[in-house]
Amino acid sequence: MVQTSHPLRTLHRVVAPYHGLPGKHTALRTVFAAGELTQAKALVVIDPSGRGTAAERVTELIGPIARSDVEFLAPRYRRHPHDGVLITQLVRPLVRALYGVALDEPLGAEFACSGRFASHCLDKDIWNREAARFAIDLWLRTEAVAERFTVGQIWHPAPTATGTRTTLRETVHQVVLSLIESVRAHESFWLKANGATELRTWGSDPIVMPEAATWDYQALADQARHDIVEIKPLLEEVLEPDVFARVTDDTSGAGSPLDDELWVRIVYAFAAATRLGHTGIEHLADMFAPLYMWRASAFMAHTALESPDIVQARLDSLCETFQRLKPVLVASWSVEV
Amino acid sequence: MIQDIADALVQSWRNAATASVLFVPRLVAATIIFAAGFVVSLLARRAIRRLLAWLRFDRLSLRTGASEMLRMADMPTAEVLIAKVVFWMVWIGFIVSAVDTLHLRPVQGLVNEFFRFVPRFLVALLVLTLGFLVGNFLWRATLLASVNAGLPGARLLSGALRILVIAIGVVMALEQLGLATAVVLTAFAIMFGALMLGLAIAFGLGGRDAAKQLLEQQFRAKKERDTDAAPHL
Repeated sequence: MVQTSHPLRTLHRVVAPYHGLPGKHTALRTVFAAGELTQAKALVVIDPSGRGTAAERVTELIGPIARSDVEFLAPRYRRHPHDGVLITQLVRPLVRALYGVALDEPLGAEFACSGRFASHCLDKDIWNREAARFAIDLWLRTEAVAERFTVGQIWHPAPTATGTRTTLRETVHQVVLSLIESVRAHESFWLKANGATELRTWGSDPIVMPEAATWDYQALADQARHDIVEIKPLLEEVLEPDVFARVTDDTSGAGSPLDDELWVRIVYAFAAATRLGHTGIEHLADMFAPLYMWRASAFMAHTALESPDIVQARLDSLCETFQRLKPVLVASWSVEV
Repeated sequence: MIQDIADALVQSWRNAATASVLFVPRLVAATIIFAAGFVVSLLARRAIRRLLAWLRFDRLSLRTGASEMLRMADMPTAEVLIAKVVFWMVWIGFIVSAVDTLHLRPVQGLVNEFFRFVPRFLVALLVLTLGFLVGNFLWRATLLASVNAGLPGARLLSGALRILVIAIGVVMALEQLGLATAVVLTAFAIMFGALMLGLAIAFGLGGRDAAKQLLEQQFRAKKERDTDAAPHL
Protein backbone atom coordinates (compact mmCIF):
# COMPACT_ATOMS: atom_id res chain seq x y z
CA MET A 1 0.00 0.00 0.00
CA VAL A 2 1.36 3.42 -0.89
CA GLN A 3 0.57 6.40 1.34
CA THR A 4 0.30 9.51 -0.75
CA SER A 5 0.80 13.07 0.31
CA HIS A 6 -2.70 14.08 -0.78
CA PRO A 7 -5.97 12.16 -0.59
CA LEU A 8 -7.12 10.33 -3.67
CA ARG A 9 -10.69 9.85 -4.74
CA THR A 10 -10.27 6.11 -4.79
CA LEU A 11 -7.79 4.04 -2.85
CA HIS A 12 -5.06 2.82 -5.08
CA ARG A 13 -3.33 -0.36 -4.21
CA VAL A 14 -0.27 -1.62 -6.00
CA VAL A 15 0.34 -5.30 -5.50
CA ALA A 16 3.60 -6.77 -6.61
CA PRO A 17 3.59 -10.45 -5.69
CA TYR A 18 6.89 -12.22 -5.74
CA HIS A 19 7.76 -15.78 -4.98
CA GLY A 20 10.85 -16.13 -2.88
CA LEU A 21 13.87 -13.95 -2.60
CA PRO A 22 14.96 -13.62 -6.23
CA GLY A 23 11.92 -11.50 -7.08
CA LYS A 24 12.35 -9.10 -4.19
CA HIS A 25 14.20 -6.49 -6.20
CA THR A 26 11.47 -6.50 -8.85
CA ALA A 27 8.83 -5.92 -6.20
CA LEU A 28 10.83 -3.12 -4.63
CA ARG A 29 11.37 -1.47 -7.97
CA THR A 30 7.64 -1.61 -8.64
CA VAL A 31 6.90 -0.09 -5.23
CA PHE A 32 9.44 2.66 -5.84
CA ALA A 33 7.94 3.33 -9.25
CA ALA A 34 4.45 3.47 -7.79
CA GLY A 35 5.72 5.85 -5.14
CA GLU A 36 7.21 8.09 -7.78
CA LEU A 37 4.04 7.95 -9.85
CA THR A 38 1.83 8.97 -6.94
CA GLN A 39 4.44 11.45 -5.65
CA ALA A 40 4.61 9.61 -2.36
CA LYS A 41 6.37 11.44 0.45
CA ALA A 42 7.33 8.27 2.27
CA LEU A 43 7.55 4.57 1.52
CA VAL A 44 7.66 1.78 4.05
CA VAL A 45 8.65 -1.82 3.45
CA ILE A 46 7.88 -4.27 6.24
CA ASP A 47 8.90 -7.84 6.74
CA PRO A 48 5.96 -10.18 7.33
CA SER A 49 8.03 -12.22 9.78
CA GLY A 50 8.61 -9.20 12.01
CA ARG A 51 7.03 -8.87 15.41
CA GLY A 52 4.09 -6.63 16.13
CA THR A 53 1.27 -5.76 13.82
CA ALA A 54 1.80 -4.28 10.41
CA ALA A 55 -0.04 -1.09 11.35
CA GLU A 56 2.21 -0.49 14.38
CA ARG A 57 5.37 -1.06 12.40
CA VAL A 58 4.24 1.16 9.55
CA THR A 59 3.39 3.95 11.99
CA GLU A 60 6.76 3.72 13.71
CA LEU A 61 8.72 3.67 10.47
CA ILE A 62 6.80 6.34 8.63
CA GLY A 63 6.88 8.99 11.36
CA PRO A 64 10.46 10.25 11.05
CA ILE A 65 10.24 10.20 7.24
CA ALA A 66 6.93 12.04 7.14
CA ARG A 67 8.33 14.70 9.48
CA SER A 68 11.36 15.02 7.17
CA ASP A 69 13.71 14.23 10.02
CA VAL A 70 15.42 11.60 7.92
CA GLU A 71 15.28 10.21 4.39
CA PHE A 72 16.22 6.61 5.06
CA LEU A 73 15.31 4.76 8.22
CA ALA A 74 16.66 1.30 8.99
CA PRO A 75 15.56 -0.86 11.90
CA ARG A 76 18.02 -1.64 14.64
CA TYR A 77 17.71 -4.75 16.79
CA ARG A 78 18.93 -5.68 20.22
CA ARG A 79 20.61 -8.92 19.20
CA HIS A 80 22.30 -11.50 21.31
CA PRO A 81 26.04 -11.12 20.50
CA HIS A 82 26.08 -14.70 19.25
CA ASP A 83 23.24 -14.03 16.85
CA GLY A 84 23.62 -12.99 13.23
CA VAL A 85 27.28 -13.93 12.91
CA LEU A 86 27.42 -13.00 9.23
CA ILE A 87 26.25 -9.52 10.16
CA THR A 88 28.48 -9.05 13.19
CA GLN A 89 31.62 -10.60 11.72
CA LEU A 90 31.48 -9.26 8.20
CA VAL A 91 28.72 -6.98 7.00
CA ARG A 92 28.39 -4.58 9.93
CA PRO A 93 32.10 -3.94 10.61
CA LEU A 94 32.90 -3.68 6.90
CA VAL A 95 30.12 -1.22 6.16
CA ARG A 96 30.99 0.74 9.28
CA ALA A 97 34.67 0.98 8.34
CA LEU A 98 34.15 1.76 4.68
CA TYR A 99 31.17 4.08 4.84
CA GLY A 100 32.01 5.75 8.13
CA VAL A 101 28.58 5.28 9.72
CA ALA A 102 27.62 3.17 12.72
CA LEU A 103 24.83 1.36 10.90
CA ASP A 104 23.85 -1.63 13.00
CA GLU A 105 21.86 -3.61 10.47
CA PRO A 106 23.13 -3.17 6.94
CA LEU A 107 21.02 -6.14 5.90
CA GLY A 108 17.34 -6.14 6.64
CA ALA A 109 14.11 -6.47 4.77
CA GLU A 110 12.40 -3.61 6.59
CA PHE A 111 13.07 0.03 5.99
CA ALA A 112 11.41 3.33 5.28
CA CYS A 113 12.54 5.97 2.85
CA SER A 114 11.48 9.25 1.36
CA GLY A 115 9.96 9.54 -2.07
CA ARG A 116 13.03 11.50 -3.13
CA PHE A 117 15.29 8.59 -2.24
CA ALA A 118 13.04 6.13 -4.06
CA SER A 119 13.12 8.29 -7.20
CA HIS A 120 16.89 8.53 -6.90
CA CYS A 121 17.23 4.72 -6.75
CA LEU A 122 15.02 4.24 -9.80
CA ASP A 123 17.59 6.10 -11.90
CA LYS A 124 20.34 3.67 -10.96
CA ASP A 125 21.23 0.63 -13.05
CA ILE A 126 21.43 -1.70 -10.03
CA TRP A 127 18.11 -3.34 -10.78
CA ASN A 128 19.41 -5.52 -13.60
CA ARG A 129 22.50 -6.66 -11.76
CA GLU A 130 22.93 -10.05 -10.16
CA ALA A 131 23.60 -8.53 -6.73
CA ALA A 132 20.20 -6.81 -6.76
CA ARG A 133 18.42 -10.14 -6.91
CA PHE A 134 19.54 -11.22 -3.47
CA ALA A 135 20.64 -8.39 -1.23
CA ILE A 136 19.14 -5.21 -2.58
CA ASP A 137 18.55 -4.03 0.99
CA LEU A 138 22.30 -3.78 1.56
CA TRP A 139 22.77 -1.73 -1.58
CA LEU A 140 19.89 0.59 -0.61
CA ARG A 141 21.47 1.37 2.75
CA THR A 142 24.93 1.98 1.35
CA GLU A 143 23.49 4.04 -1.48
CA ALA A 144 21.67 6.23 1.02
CA VAL A 145 24.90 6.81 2.93
CA ALA A 146 27.11 7.30 -0.13
CA GLU A 147 24.72 9.72 -1.78
CA ARG A 148 24.47 11.68 1.47
CA PHE A 149 20.81 11.14 2.19
CA THR A 150 20.02 11.55 5.88
CA VAL A 151 20.11 8.08 7.38
CA GLY A 152 18.73 7.07 10.74
CA GLN A 153 17.88 3.99 12.76
CA ILE A 154 14.92 2.93 14.82
CA TRP A 155 14.80 0.35 17.59
CA HIS A 156 12.66 -2.61 16.73
CA PRO A 157 12.13 -6.01 18.28
CA ALA A 158 14.36 -8.55 16.57
CA PRO A 159 12.52 -10.51 13.87
CA THR A 160 11.72 -14.12 14.58
CA ALA A 161 14.31 -16.46 13.17
CA THR A 162 12.56 -18.52 10.54
CA GLY A 163 14.34 -20.98 8.31
CA THR A 164 15.67 -19.55 5.10
CA ARG A 165 15.28 -21.11 1.70
CA THR A 166 18.94 -20.72 0.97
CA THR A 167 21.85 -22.60 2.45
CA LEU A 168 24.60 -20.84 4.32
CA ARG A 169 26.97 -21.07 1.34
CA GLU A 170 24.44 -19.55 -1.00
CA THR A 171 23.66 -16.79 1.49
CA VAL A 172 27.33 -15.95 1.96
CA HIS A 173 27.77 -15.98 -1.82
CA GLN A 174 24.85 -13.59 -2.28
CA VAL A 175 25.89 -11.25 0.51
CA VAL A 176 29.47 -11.11 -0.75
CA LEU A 177 28.26 -10.29 -4.28
CA SER A 178 26.12 -7.54 -2.88
CA LEU A 179 28.99 -6.15 -0.82
CA ILE A 180 31.22 -6.17 -3.90
CA GLU A 181 28.53 -4.35 -5.86
CA SER A 182 28.22 -1.69 -3.18
CA VAL A 183 31.97 -1.29 -2.73
CA ARG A 184 32.50 -0.88 -6.47
CA ALA A 185 29.59 1.50 -6.91
CA HIS A 186 30.60 3.76 -4.03
CA GLU A 187 34.39 3.71 -4.21
CA SER A 188 34.66 7.47 -4.64
CA PHE A 189 32.82 7.84 -1.33
CA TRP A 190 34.38 5.23 0.90
CA LEU A 191 37.94 5.85 -0.22
CA LYS A 192 37.70 9.21 1.52
CA ALA A 193 35.35 8.36 4.42
CA ASN A 194 36.79 7.76 7.85
CA GLY A 195 35.63 7.34 11.41
CA ALA A 196 32.20 5.96 12.28
CA THR A 197 29.50 8.60 12.77
CA GLU A 198 26.73 7.60 15.14
CA LEU A 199 23.32 7.73 13.50
CA ARG A 200 20.30 9.27 15.12
CA THR A 201 18.15 6.50 16.59
CA TRP A 202 14.42 6.64 17.27
CA GLY A 203 12.43 4.42 19.57
CA SER A 204 13.55 2.91 22.84
CA ASP A 205 16.23 0.29 23.31
CA PRO A 206 14.55 -3.02 24.19
CA ILE A 207 17.50 -3.76 26.58
CA VAL A 208 16.38 -7.35 26.97
CA MET A 209 17.98 -9.41 24.27
CA PRO A 210 16.52 -12.63 22.92
CA GLU A 211 18.37 -15.88 23.22
CA ALA A 212 20.68 -16.73 20.37
CA ALA A 213 19.83 -19.63 18.11
CA THR A 214 22.09 -22.61 18.61
CA TRP A 215 23.91 -24.28 15.78
CA ASP A 216 26.62 -26.85 15.40
CA TYR A 217 29.72 -24.72 14.96
CA GLN A 218 32.04 -27.70 15.36
CA ALA A 219 30.57 -29.37 12.28
CA LEU A 220 30.84 -26.08 10.43
CA ALA A 221 34.50 -25.79 11.47
CA ASP A 222 35.23 -29.28 10.12
CA GLN A 223 33.54 -28.46 6.81
CA ALA A 224 35.39 -25.17 6.60
CA ARG A 225 38.81 -26.71 7.26
CA HIS A 226 38.20 -29.42 4.67
CA ASP A 227 37.05 -26.90 2.06
CA ILE A 228 39.92 -24.50 2.70
CA VAL A 229 42.44 -27.30 2.19
CA GLU A 230 40.75 -28.18 -1.10
CA ILE A 231 40.83 -24.64 -2.48
CA LYS A 232 44.32 -23.79 -1.20
CA PRO A 233 45.76 -23.20 -4.72
CA LEU A 234 43.03 -20.65 -5.37
CA LEU A 235 43.45 -18.91 -2.03
CA GLU A 236 47.16 -18.53 -2.67
CA GLU A 237 46.35 -16.32 -5.65
CA VAL A 238 44.24 -13.95 -3.58
CA LEU A 239 45.79 -13.79 -0.12
CA GLU A 240 49.18 -12.33 0.69
CA PRO A 241 51.79 -14.97 1.48
CA ASP A 242 51.89 -14.31 5.21
CA VAL A 243 48.09 -14.23 5.48
CA PHE A 244 47.85 -17.44 3.46
CA ALA A 245 50.42 -19.11 5.70
CA ARG A 246 48.53 -18.08 8.83
CA VAL A 247 45.22 -19.31 7.42
CA THR A 248 46.68 -22.70 6.51
CA ASP A 249 48.37 -22.97 9.92
CA ASP A 250 45.13 -22.20 11.67
CA THR A 251 43.06 -24.61 9.60
CA SER A 252 45.49 -27.42 10.28
CA GLY A 253 44.14 -27.40 13.82
CA ALA A 254 46.91 -25.47 15.50
CA GLY A 255 44.31 -24.02 17.87
CA SER A 256 45.51 -20.44 17.79
CA PRO A 257 43.46 -17.69 19.47
CA LEU A 258 40.80 -15.74 17.62
CA ASP A 259 42.71 -13.38 15.39
CA ASP A 260 40.68 -10.33 14.37
CA GLU A 261 43.50 -8.80 12.36
CA LEU A 262 43.90 -11.95 10.27
CA TRP A 263 40.19 -11.99 9.50
CA VAL A 264 40.16 -8.33 8.53
CA ARG A 265 43.16 -8.81 6.24
CA ILE A 266 41.41 -11.73 4.58
CA VAL A 267 38.29 -9.63 3.97
CA TYR A 268 40.31 -6.73 2.61
CA ALA A 269 42.40 -9.04 0.40
CA PHE A 270 39.22 -10.34 -1.19
CA ALA A 271 37.87 -6.82 -1.58
CA ALA A 272 41.08 -5.72 -3.30
CA ALA A 273 41.00 -8.82 -5.51
CA THR A 274 37.68 -7.67 -6.97
CA ARG A 275 39.37 -4.51 -8.12
CA LEU A 276 42.46 -6.17 -9.53
CA GLY A 277 40.28 -8.52 -11.56
CA HIS A 278 42.61 -11.52 -11.41
CA THR A 279 39.71 -13.73 -10.41
CA GLY A 280 36.06 -13.41 -11.37
CA ILE A 281 33.80 -12.09 -8.61
CA GLU A 282 31.57 -15.17 -8.72
CA HIS A 283 34.61 -17.32 -8.03
CA LEU A 284 35.76 -14.95 -5.30
CA ALA A 285 32.36 -15.18 -3.62
CA ASP A 286 32.54 -18.98 -3.76
CA MET A 287 36.07 -18.96 -2.36
CA PHE A 288 35.06 -16.70 0.50
CA ALA A 289 32.31 -18.98 1.84
CA PRO A 290 34.65 -21.54 3.50
CA LEU A 291 36.68 -18.70 5.02
CA TYR A 292 33.56 -17.18 6.53
CA MET A 293 32.51 -20.58 7.87
CA TRP A 294 35.94 -20.98 9.43
CA ARG A 295 35.77 -17.56 11.07
CA ALA A 296 32.17 -17.98 12.26
CA SER A 297 32.88 -21.34 13.86
CA ALA A 298 36.11 -20.05 15.43
CA PHE A 299 34.22 -17.06 16.86
CA MET A 300 31.55 -19.29 18.36
CA ALA A 301 34.07 -21.78 19.71
CA HIS A 302 36.13 -19.07 21.40
CA THR A 303 33.19 -17.15 22.86
CA ALA A 304 30.75 -19.94 23.69
CA LEU A 305 31.36 -19.67 27.43
CA GLU A 306 31.80 -15.89 27.60
CA SER A 307 29.17 -13.53 28.90
CA PRO A 308 27.21 -11.42 26.39
CA ASP A 309 28.98 -8.25 27.59
CA ILE A 310 32.41 -9.68 26.88
CA VAL A 311 31.30 -10.98 23.49
CA GLN A 312 29.82 -7.59 22.65
CA ALA A 313 33.14 -5.99 23.58
CA ARG A 314 34.85 -8.38 21.13
CA LEU A 315 32.44 -7.33 18.39
CA ASP A 316 33.15 -3.67 19.08
CA SER A 317 36.88 -4.39 18.99
CA LEU A 318 36.44 -6.15 15.64
CA CYS A 319 34.77 -3.03 14.23
CA GLU A 320 37.72 -0.96 15.41
CA THR A 321 40.14 -3.40 13.76
CA PHE A 322 38.29 -3.03 10.48
CA GLN A 323 38.59 0.74 10.75
CA ARG A 324 42.22 0.66 11.81
CA LEU A 325 43.23 -1.50 8.85
CA LYS A 326 41.14 0.38 6.29
CA PRO A 327 44.25 2.17 4.91
CA VAL A 328 45.51 -1.26 3.80
CA LEU A 329 42.43 -1.69 1.62
CA VAL A 330 42.61 1.89 0.38
CA ALA A 331 46.23 1.35 -0.67
CA SER A 332 45.42 -1.94 -2.44
CA TRP A 333 42.37 -0.44 -4.11
CA SER A 334 44.30 2.55 -5.36
CA VAL A 335 46.81 0.41 -7.28
CA GLU A 336 46.54 1.21 -10.96
CA VAL A 337 45.00 -1.62 -12.98
CA MET B 1 99.25 -40.05 -71.24
CA ILE B 2 101.03 -37.64 -68.95
CA GLN B 3 99.47 -34.86 -70.95
CA ASP B 4 96.02 -36.42 -70.39
CA ILE B 5 96.60 -36.54 -66.65
CA ALA B 6 97.81 -32.97 -66.66
CA ASP B 7 94.76 -31.92 -68.70
CA ALA B 8 92.45 -33.71 -66.28
CA LEU B 9 94.10 -32.02 -63.31
CA VAL B 10 93.89 -28.60 -64.96
CA GLN B 11 90.23 -29.18 -65.87
CA SER B 12 89.47 -30.31 -62.33
CA TRP B 13 91.22 -27.24 -60.94
CA ARG B 14 89.30 -25.01 -63.34
CA ASN B 15 85.99 -26.63 -62.31
CA ALA B 16 86.82 -26.17 -58.66
CA ALA B 17 87.84 -22.57 -59.24
CA THR B 18 84.63 -21.89 -61.21
CA ALA B 19 82.52 -23.50 -58.52
CA SER B 20 84.32 -21.48 -55.85
CA VAL B 21 83.89 -18.30 -57.82
CA LEU B 22 80.19 -19.06 -57.99
CA PHE B 23 79.91 -20.26 -54.37
CA VAL B 24 81.90 -17.63 -52.48
CA PRO B 25 79.56 -14.72 -53.26
CA ARG B 26 76.66 -16.87 -52.19
CA LEU B 27 78.49 -17.74 -49.00
CA VAL B 28 79.17 -14.08 -48.32
CA ALA B 29 75.54 -13.21 -49.01
CA ALA B 30 74.39 -16.03 -46.73
CA THR B 31 76.66 -14.79 -43.96
CA ILE B 32 75.34 -11.26 -44.34
CA ILE B 33 71.77 -12.54 -44.24
CA PHE B 34 72.58 -14.64 -41.17
CA ALA B 35 74.12 -11.71 -39.29
CA ALA B 36 71.43 -9.26 -40.37
CA GLY B 37 68.80 -11.75 -39.30
CA PHE B 38 70.30 -11.91 -35.83
CA VAL B 39 70.19 -8.14 -35.49
CA VAL B 40 66.62 -7.93 -36.83
CA SER B 41 65.55 -10.73 -34.46
CA LEU B 42 67.00 -8.88 -31.50
CA LEU B 43 65.15 -5.73 -32.54
CA ALA B 44 61.93 -7.68 -33.03
CA ARG B 45 62.27 -9.25 -29.59
CA ARG B 46 62.77 -5.87 -27.97
CA ALA B 47 59.84 -4.38 -29.88
CA ILE B 48 57.53 -7.20 -28.86
CA ARG B 49 58.50 -6.88 -25.20
CA ARG B 50 57.81 -3.17 -25.26
CA LEU B 51 54.50 -3.72 -27.01
CA LEU B 52 53.41 -6.34 -24.49
CA ALA B 53 54.43 -4.10 -21.61
CA TRP B 54 52.42 -1.24 -23.09
CA LEU B 55 49.40 -3.54 -23.51
CA ARG B 56 49.83 -4.66 -19.84
CA PHE B 57 50.05 -8.24 -20.96
CA ASP B 58 51.41 -9.25 -17.57
CA ARG B 59 48.04 -8.52 -15.96
CA LEU B 60 46.24 -10.61 -18.55
CA SER B 61 48.57 -13.51 -17.98
CA LEU B 62 48.13 -13.14 -14.22
CA ARG B 63 44.34 -13.08 -14.58
CA THR B 64 44.25 -16.15 -16.79
CA GLY B 65 46.59 -18.10 -14.54
CA ALA B 66 49.29 -18.35 -17.19
CA SER B 67 51.83 -16.64 -14.93
CA GLU B 68 51.25 -19.11 -12.16
CA MET B 69 51.55 -22.12 -14.43
CA LEU B 70 54.74 -20.85 -16.02
CA ARG B 71 56.17 -20.08 -12.59
CA MET B 72 55.36 -23.59 -11.40
CA ALA B 73 57.03 -25.01 -14.52
CA ASP B 74 60.11 -22.90 -13.76
CA MET B 75 59.75 -21.10 -17.06
CA PRO B 76 60.18 -17.41 -17.83
CA THR B 77 57.20 -15.06 -17.76
CA ALA B 78 54.68 -15.04 -20.59
CA GLU B 79 56.02 -11.80 -22.09
CA VAL B 80 59.59 -13.11 -22.09
CA LEU B 81 58.43 -16.40 -23.58
CA ILE B 82 56.50 -14.71 -26.38
CA ALA B 83 59.43 -12.40 -27.12
CA LYS B 84 61.75 -15.43 -27.33
CA VAL B 85 59.38 -17.22 -29.69
CA VAL B 86 59.27 -14.17 -31.94
CA PHE B 87 63.07 -13.88 -31.80
CA TRP B 88 63.59 -17.47 -32.88
CA MET B 89 60.92 -17.39 -35.56
CA VAL B 90 62.39 -14.31 -37.19
CA TRP B 91 65.95 -15.59 -36.92
CA ILE B 92 65.10 -19.05 -38.21
CA GLY B 93 63.40 -17.35 -41.14
CA PHE B 94 66.62 -15.52 -41.91
CA ILE B 95 68.72 -18.67 -41.40
CA VAL B 96 66.50 -20.55 -43.82
CA SER B 97 66.83 -17.71 -46.26
CA ALA B 98 70.60 -17.74 -45.86
CA VAL B 99 70.78 -21.48 -46.46
CA ASP B 100 68.55 -21.10 -49.50
CA THR B 101 70.95 -18.51 -50.90
CA LEU B 102 73.69 -21.16 -51.00
CA HIS B 103 71.60 -23.11 -53.55
CA LEU B 104 72.46 -26.43 -51.98
CA ARG B 105 70.40 -29.06 -53.73
CA PRO B 106 69.28 -31.06 -50.65
CA VAL B 107 67.81 -27.94 -49.03
CA GLN B 108 66.35 -26.17 -52.05
CA GLY B 109 62.82 -24.90 -51.58
CA LEU B 110 63.35 -24.62 -47.84
CA VAL B 111 62.21 -21.02 -47.73
CA ASN B 112 58.87 -21.86 -49.24
CA GLU B 113 58.42 -24.72 -46.82
CA PHE B 114 59.27 -22.51 -43.88
CA PHE B 115 56.84 -19.78 -44.83
CA ARG B 116 54.16 -22.39 -45.36
CA PHE B 117 54.91 -23.70 -41.88
CA VAL B 118 54.79 -20.35 -40.05
CA PRO B 119 50.99 -19.79 -40.27
CA ARG B 120 50.37 -23.36 -39.10
CA PHE B 121 52.75 -22.79 -36.24
CA LEU B 122 50.97 -19.61 -35.21
CA VAL B 123 47.58 -21.31 -35.33
CA ALA B 124 48.98 -24.19 -33.30
CA LEU B 125 50.24 -21.71 -30.70
CA LEU B 126 46.82 -20.09 -30.60
CA VAL B 127 45.09 -23.43 -30.15
CA LEU B 128 47.52 -24.37 -27.40
CA THR B 129 46.96 -21.05 -25.63
CA LEU B 130 43.18 -21.41 -25.85
CA GLY B 131 43.39 -24.95 -24.55
CA PHE B 132 45.43 -23.75 -21.65
CA LEU B 133 43.05 -20.86 -20.86
CA VAL B 134 39.94 -23.00 -21.07
CA GLY B 135 41.59 -25.74 -19.02
CA ASN B 136 42.54 -23.27 -16.33
CA PHE B 137 39.09 -21.73 -16.20
CA LEU B 138 37.40 -25.12 -15.98
CA TRP B 139 39.83 -26.19 -13.26
CA ARG B 140 38.94 -23.23 -11.11
CA ALA B 141 35.18 -23.47 -11.71
CA THR B 142 35.07 -27.21 -11.17
CA LEU B 143 37.13 -27.04 -8.01
CA LEU B 144 34.85 -24.44 -6.46
CA ALA B 145 31.65 -26.15 -7.57
CA SER B 146 32.87 -29.53 -6.31
CA VAL B 147 33.96 -28.14 -2.96
CA ASN B 148 30.65 -26.35 -2.47
CA ALA B 149 28.75 -29.48 -3.45
CA GLY B 150 30.84 -31.57 -1.06
CA LEU B 151 32.09 -33.98 -3.73
CA PRO B 152 35.03 -36.10 -2.60
CA GLY B 153 38.33 -35.59 -4.37
CA ALA B 154 37.46 -32.12 -5.65
CA ARG B 155 41.10 -31.29 -6.39
CA LEU B 156 41.64 -34.59 -8.20
CA LEU B 157 38.53 -34.10 -10.29
CA SER B 158 39.30 -30.52 -11.26
CA GLY B 159 42.98 -31.29 -11.86
CA ALA B 160 42.10 -34.21 -14.10
CA LEU B 161 39.71 -32.04 -16.07
CA ARG B 162 42.38 -29.41 -16.56
CA ILE B 163 44.92 -31.95 -17.76
CA LEU B 164 42.36 -33.46 -20.13
CA VAL B 165 41.46 -30.13 -21.71
CA ILE B 166 45.11 -29.12 -22.04
CA ALA B 167 45.92 -32.54 -23.54
CA ILE B 168 43.18 -32.04 -26.12
CA GLY B 169 44.68 -28.64 -26.89
CA VAL B 170 48.14 -30.18 -27.32
CA VAL B 171 46.81 -32.85 -29.66
CA MET B 172 44.95 -30.26 -31.71
CA ALA B 173 48.09 -28.13 -31.89
CA LEU B 174 50.19 -31.09 -33.03
CA GLU B 175 47.57 -31.94 -35.62
CA GLN B 176 47.75 -28.37 -36.86
CA LEU B 177 51.52 -28.63 -37.15
CA GLY B 178 51.13 -31.84 -39.11
CA LEU B 179 53.62 -33.65 -36.90
CA ALA B 180 52.97 -37.37 -36.94
CA THR B 181 49.26 -36.64 -37.01
CA ALA B 182 48.08 -40.20 -37.37
CA VAL B 183 50.27 -41.43 -34.52
CA VAL B 184 49.28 -38.66 -32.15
CA LEU B 185 45.57 -38.93 -32.85
CA THR B 186 45.55 -42.68 -32.61
CA ALA B 187 47.53 -42.65 -29.37
CA PHE B 188 45.24 -40.03 -27.87
CA ALA B 189 42.09 -41.86 -28.94
CA ILE B 190 43.38 -45.11 -27.48
CA MET B 191 44.40 -43.51 -24.20
CA PHE B 192 41.18 -41.57 -23.81
CA GLY B 193 39.02 -44.52 -24.75
CA ALA B 194 40.92 -46.81 -22.39
CA LEU B 195 40.57 -44.33 -19.55
CA MET B 196 36.84 -43.93 -20.05
CA LEU B 197 36.31 -47.66 -20.45
CA GLY B 198 38.35 -48.36 -17.35
CA LEU B 199 36.36 -45.85 -15.33
CA ALA B 200 33.08 -47.22 -16.62
CA ILE B 201 34.06 -50.78 -15.72
CA ALA B 202 35.45 -49.75 -12.36
CA PHE B 203 32.33 -47.86 -11.34
CA GLY B 204 29.78 -49.84 -13.26
CA LEU B 205 30.87 -53.35 -12.32
CA GLY B 206 33.71 -53.46 -9.88
CA GLY B 207 32.61 -50.53 -7.74
CA ARG B 208 28.87 -50.90 -8.00
CA ASP B 209 28.29 -51.30 -4.29
CA ALA B 210 30.91 -48.71 -3.44
CA ALA B 211 29.28 -46.26 -5.86
CA LYS B 212 25.91 -46.89 -4.24
CA GLN B 213 27.35 -46.28 -0.77
CA LEU B 214 29.17 -43.20 -1.99
CA LEU B 215 25.99 -41.74 -3.45
CA GLU B 216 24.05 -42.44 -0.28
CA GLN B 217 26.80 -40.89 1.81
CA GLN B 218 26.88 -37.87 -0.47
CA PHE B 219 23.14 -37.45 -0.21
CA ARG B 220 23.34 -37.64 3.57
CA ALA B 221 26.40 -35.41 3.73
CA LYS B 222 24.72 -32.88 1.46
CA LYS B 223 21.84 -32.59 3.89
CA GLU B 224 24.32 -32.06 6.73
CA ARG B 225 26.41 -29.66 4.67
CA ASP B 226 23.42 -27.55 3.67
CA THR B 227 23.55 -25.52 6.85
CA ASP B 228 20.60 -23.24 7.38
CA ALA B 229 21.63 -19.62 7.02
CA ALA B 230 19.03 -18.27 9.48
CA PRO B 231 21.25 -18.18 12.62
CA HIS B 232 23.86 -16.25 10.64
CA LEU B 233 21.55 -13.39 9.60
